[in-house]
Amino acid sequence: MTAAFSYVFPFLLMMALCQRVMISWGKRATGWIPTIILASASALMVILPIAGLPVGRWLVSLYPNPSIPLTALLFSWVLKNAFQLNLLDMRAIQTCRGFSLLAGVVLYPMALGVSGFDPYGAGWHFSWLFIILFSITLLLLFLKNRFSVVLLATILAFNLHLLESSNLWDYLVDPILVLVTIAGLTVQIVKFTFQTMSDTFGKNR
Amino acid sequence: MSKRLITILGILTLLAYAWPAWTRFSTTPMTSASFSPLPRSELSTNHTPFMDQDFITPGTGSGIVHVGSICEMPDGELGAVWYGGTREGAKDVAIFFSKKPQDFSASWSPPRIIVDRASATRELNRYIRKVGNPILFRGPGKQLQMIYVTITVGGWSGSSLNVKTSRDSGLTWTDSRRLTLSPFFNISELVKGHPLSVNITGENENRHHFAVPIYHEFLGYFPEILWIAFSRENQELIYEKSRMAGGSSFIQPSIVPLNTRSATAFYRCRSKAGHIAMARTDDGGQNWSSPHFLDLPNPDSAVDALPLTKGRILLAFNDSRNNRETLQMAVSNDRGLNWIRIYTLENSPDQEFSYPYMIRGQNGLIHLVYTWKRKRIKHVVFNEAWVDHKIEQATKR
Repeated sequence: MTAAFSYVFPFLLMMALCQRVMISWGKRATGWIPTIILASASALMVILPIAGLPVGRWLVSLYPNPSIPLTALLFSWVLKNAFQLNLLDMRAIQTCRGFSLLAGVVLYPMALGVSGFDPYGAGWHFSWLFIILFSITLLLLFLKNRFSVVLLATILAFNLHLLESSNLWDYLVDPILVLVTIAGLTVQIVKFTFQTMSDTFGKNR
Repeated sequence: MSKRLITILGILTLLAYAWPAWTRFSTTPMTSASFSPLPRSELSTNHTPFMDQDFITPGTGSGIVHVGSICEMPDGELGAVWYGGTREGAKDVAIFFSKKPQDFSASWSPPRIIVDRASATRELNRYIRKVGNPILFRGPGKQLQMIYVTITVGGWSGSSLNVKTSRDSGLTWTDSRRLTLSPFFNISELVKGHPLSVNITGENENRHHFAVPIYHEFLGYFPEILWIAFSRENQELIYEKSRMAGGSSFIQPSIVPLNTRSATAFYRCRSKAGHIAMARTDDGGQNWSSPHFLDLPNPDSAVDALPLTKGRILLAFNDSRNNRETLQMAVSNDRGLNWIRIYTLENSPDQEFSYPYMIRGQNGLIHLVYTWKRKRIKHVVFNEAWVDHKIEQATKR
């Protein structure tokens, strides 16, 4: 199951790229037929061997454990382009960004040796990490935030051992997700700053 | 989301967390381990001092060999692994295996490649640029385990660890299995020291547990322990890791059990201090004291330590702050606080003798392997009577 699941993220990434290319060419990427064509092309590209290794596994070589929230974000993006379906609304995406940033800030510096404490150790077995995550999932569910479903998918994926890792942190967050979050937040901040500046100058004029 | 859907998802969440909670509370964590019994004194008594040495590898010509590891195999023979190629980290580097009967007149079998970058790529189903640092140890039943390093991108800080198993004393090996030990692209985990067999109370008896000294080197450089359990019957592999120290000064731990709960670790020092560091645990390796420096130099090179009878510790190390030209053995009678230099294994200017790795066989003999001028892997075998004799000579001087 782990080996098969390792192709899911590369497939979604390829699909998202194909959709992006279609849109940039001014072609329609929405609907069943374009989606089936793009999905088939993406699946073929992912299993296409280059130097004896499928393209999907080349990605795994560099990026072995794409987290479930990042996979969900990508899936949501692909679904939106394919069927105009909003699996994760803006509130869920913002929650995902905040959560990933917080998790990344807690995990990476300490796991890479900034302090003597290693939070990564909490991911091997049931621990404070599981209790925090359980509480956040229930809270978000109560608040009808769709990111709660992503967190539920994360613990289910952990139980099913869908990733190569057996540590919950790897299901929860990954360096690319944190980078994507930082990039997203930076764009938002820049947009907001420009908006505020143009509003201010507009009023002054 | 409707109320009904929220209720269903809430129940599902509860069930999804119940599974890891149940497995946690119904099993003992691997880190609550006790170290296996120490060597018994009768192993070394009634023996006359004995020491012998030979080379495991033939001459390499212009190539290099490095990081040798030895173990006593299930059939009683000795097995050794190391890496070799045109230069350290080169694409043609492979991991070699050789064995010999425990008969002093016997010679080592011709080296055989057990994994290289092509086979590692195939077995792990991902791109592997180079292989390195193997350690070999006896697993449960007739298993022989090897943990080794692979690199996909960059230098040693791009390393990940993998496991290979043999059930026929090194003749055939299972495909490599990747260990995920770091949240940052699973890189910067390396291995050098010899594993310790550990006992987990109340654990499944079909599993055999080990504490493998590993280390991390990326932004920080620090020692860690890989707690790994192998199944007697199948390919099941359970593992986790814990940290021994933080910072960026200490790597390549070598752990010596003092009793079932206490152990001492010796660290290679990367800082300008240039001395071997030592730390101690009294809770089976869960928590370690802050490292403190010994009065023994260290030129940023690996050390290895082994418990002897009567609570003594044997240490093999490079006796210099600047180079790896001298390989020395020392013994401590007070759990590592004070040391007596007992024997100089090697001493040649402008040459390298490094990466000692020691084990004790079932018959009480101590086997030491190390890199000899980066050209060959040397094997030295001796008994404790020889160590006693050398201590006697050293204290008389």
